Amino acid sequence: MSNIYMPYLATIEDMFEEAPGVKTLNLVFKDPKVRESFEFKTGQFGLYSVFGYGESTFCIASPETRKGYIQCTFRRVGRVTTALSELSVGDTIGFRGPYGNWFPVEEWKGKNILFIAGGIGLPPVRSVIWTCLDRREDYGDVTMVYGARTVDDLVYKEELRHWEDRDDLTLIKTVDPGGEKEGWDGEVGFVPTVLEEAGPGAENTVCVICGPPVMIKFSLSVLERLGFRDDDVYTTLENKMKCGVGKCGRCNVGDVYICKEGPVYTAAQIKKMYNDF
Amino acid sequence: MEKSLLKKEALQKLIDGVREKGGRFVAPSILARQVVYREVDCADQMVHDYIVPRNSIKEFLFPQTEPILRFRLMREGVEVEDVRVEPERTVFFGVRPCDAASCGAVRKVFTWDYIDQFYTRREDSSVMMTIACTSSDDECFCTTVGVSPEGKEGADLLLKETVDGDYLVEAVTDRGRAFVEEFKDVFTEPDGAELKAVATPEPIEGVNIDNIIGFLKDRSHYNSEIWAELARKCVGCGACTFTCPTCRCFDMVDEGTYIEGERRKNWDSCQFDSFTLHASGHNPRDTQFKRWRNRFMCKFNFYPVKFSARGCVGCGRCIRVCPVRLDITEVMIEVSEAARDV
Ligand SMILES: Cc1cc2nc3c(=O)[nH]c(=O)nc-3n(C[C@H](O)[C@H](O)[C@H](O)COP(=O)(O)OP(=O)(O)OC[C@H]3O[C@@H](n4cnc5c(N)ncnc54)[C@H](O)[C@@H]3O)c2cc1C
Ligand code: SF4
Ligand code: SF4
Ligand code: SF4
Ligand code: FES
Repeated sequence: MSNIYMPYLATIEDMFEEAPGVKTLNLVFKDPKVRESFEFKTGQFGLYSVFGYGESTFCIASPETRKGYIQCTFRRVGRVTTALSELSVGDTIGFRGPYGNWFPVEEWKGKNILFIAGGIGLPPVRSVIWTCLDRREDYGDVTMVYGARTVDDLVYKEELRHWEDRDDLTLIKTVDPGGEKEGWDGEVGFVPTVLEEAGPGAENTVCVICGPPVMIKFSLSVLERLGFRDDDVYTTLENKMKCGVGKCGRCNVGDVYICKEGPVYTAAQIKKMYNDF
Repeated sequence: MEKSLLKKEALQKLIDGVREKGGRFVAPSILARQVVYREVDCADQMVHDYIVPRNSIKEFLFPQTEPILRFRLMREGVEVEDVRVEPERTVFFGVRPCDAASCGAVRKVFTWDYIDQFYTRREDSSVMMTIACTSSDDECFCTTVGVSPEGKEGADLLLKETVDGDYLVEAVTDRGRAFVEEFKDVFTEPDGAELKAVATPEPIEGVNIDNIIGFLKDRSHYNSEIWAELARKCVGCGACTFTCPTCRCFDMVDEGTYIEGERRKNWDSCQFDSFTLHASGHNPRDTQFKRWRNRFMCKFNFYPVKFSARGCVGCGRCIRVCPVRLDITEVMIEVSEAARDV
């Protein structure tokens, strides 16, 4: 395409309310050729646009193993996300991407994977989870720790039930103290605390962690105590983005342009960056 | 013919020739009592006695605002129309060597992997007629950053003024040679007239660019207290970045009515608080000194180290326009000194 800012058009085929203010969209590209040829890697993101309102950056929340559609899950926070959440099934939006790097799931073959997510940090992790579950035989033990502020704030509630029912993975779900309600059968406690209690082994294990900065910060020290090396802990960095292609100049952390060189980094790589967070 | 002469009297013919072929002719000219690069159709509108025009040439290659697509919202859906720039040839006459040298930097960013054709197509259809400087002011510091006042970088043709007010023209690129060939009735044989002396600003004492780059590359200096100190005066107006020829940051916004509109690229600046403000309210560069530090890092680290390009060409514009006179060269001296001390 000669105009790098030109989005594909996509139809909202389905729409789910995940949690208060959080929605998931199923998107299908209008152009059959794009629908056929579109590929991405887990961890990549796109710019989704509501014409007349602008563009917003979300990860592709569906796995790279499922073709023909993509999904995004977003929280309503501002102009574009509000406009997007007011659309209906059948409406058209724009999509540019896929952009950025990805989780090196190929390199993880034969390893155990520990997933840690907090709140709206689950969408990028969910893409990796399903990518790995769809190739289940390639990986060892799969463990997930997922937490949200309250029971209502948990996203992908149905999938959580499905994952709980599977016997080829361990799911530990938790809500912040005070966020539990009648019938809650998960843990009560902050993600780092619950993680420490669960104490998953670090041997031959990679970790994928996404969520609010405080959760990441405290979880990282827990992971260190559990014996995880910074090279084996992966996360994504989120900065404000506009172009997504390394031009507009705002997503940089020091000399690193997150949109082009990220958003996926190991904890070791992040420690080497300029303190520009 | 590598060298030719452009008589002052022949300028109108050149302007007419370029315009007749559908091109635009941009030259230093007076607008609102200031010398600016702008489109001219008449040689009388041009000025020849100027130092550095107020604006840089970037606004002709990377406009302050430009549509990148158009959309129409209908009951049946959305219709999106691509915008393809088909730029007319732009002849830049009287470009200062610092400005010509800046294009390489902007191009590096706009062609880094993804190619922004809004920029490249405009630059590719331009002819850069650089004129060596015969005067400079206190803000000029090209030589400090390795740019020469008679430098050829970015030029298609390098012009030097003769004492008679004509120009000795040297073709630098094939595009420049072809241009002279195309207008061979305008360019004549050199007449051996004496050239005016080139004005070469003294390199600023105490500045060592390698030391600055070295200091910035060392991540431990990012948290140094010198930044808050050095950038204390800055009010975050962004004027420095808008006038800077190598600044190329932009915003993308949708504008229009409920039924139709366009998506635009608008100039933006890392000096603004909203530039990096997340929707969550978090802002990685939440204070002005952090934004100023980013600008300095951009000029003397990201551009040279990451993009192998010039971040600063020493044009001095940011010093001239700064309302609080935060002089980048003073910071360069301070940082060079700090680098020596470690
Ligand atoms: C790589 C990447 C992946 C991401 N993935 C996801 C994802 O999967 N799901 C998801 O929900 N989000 C994700 N985000 C975050 C998401 O991009 C932003 O939340 C969203 O773009 C902002 O929404 P908006 O366009 O509606 O805000 P806008 O209204 O367009 O925001 C414009 C600016 O206004 C200000 N603003 C607007 N609202 C607020 C507010 N409530 N508080 C403070 N300032 C505000 C901010 O400066 C904001 O940047 C991701 C971001 C990145 C960089
Ligand atoms: S930083 Fe200042 S002196 Fe350097 S190129 Fe930009 S405007 Fe000119
Ligand atoms: S100094 Fe700021 S506005 Fe200028 S190019 Fe660098 S990041 Fe962009
Ligand atoms: S022109 Fe001066 S005051 Fe304005 S942002 Fe630049 S340094 Fe700060
Ligand atoms: S989002 Fe524009 S440079 Fe990264």
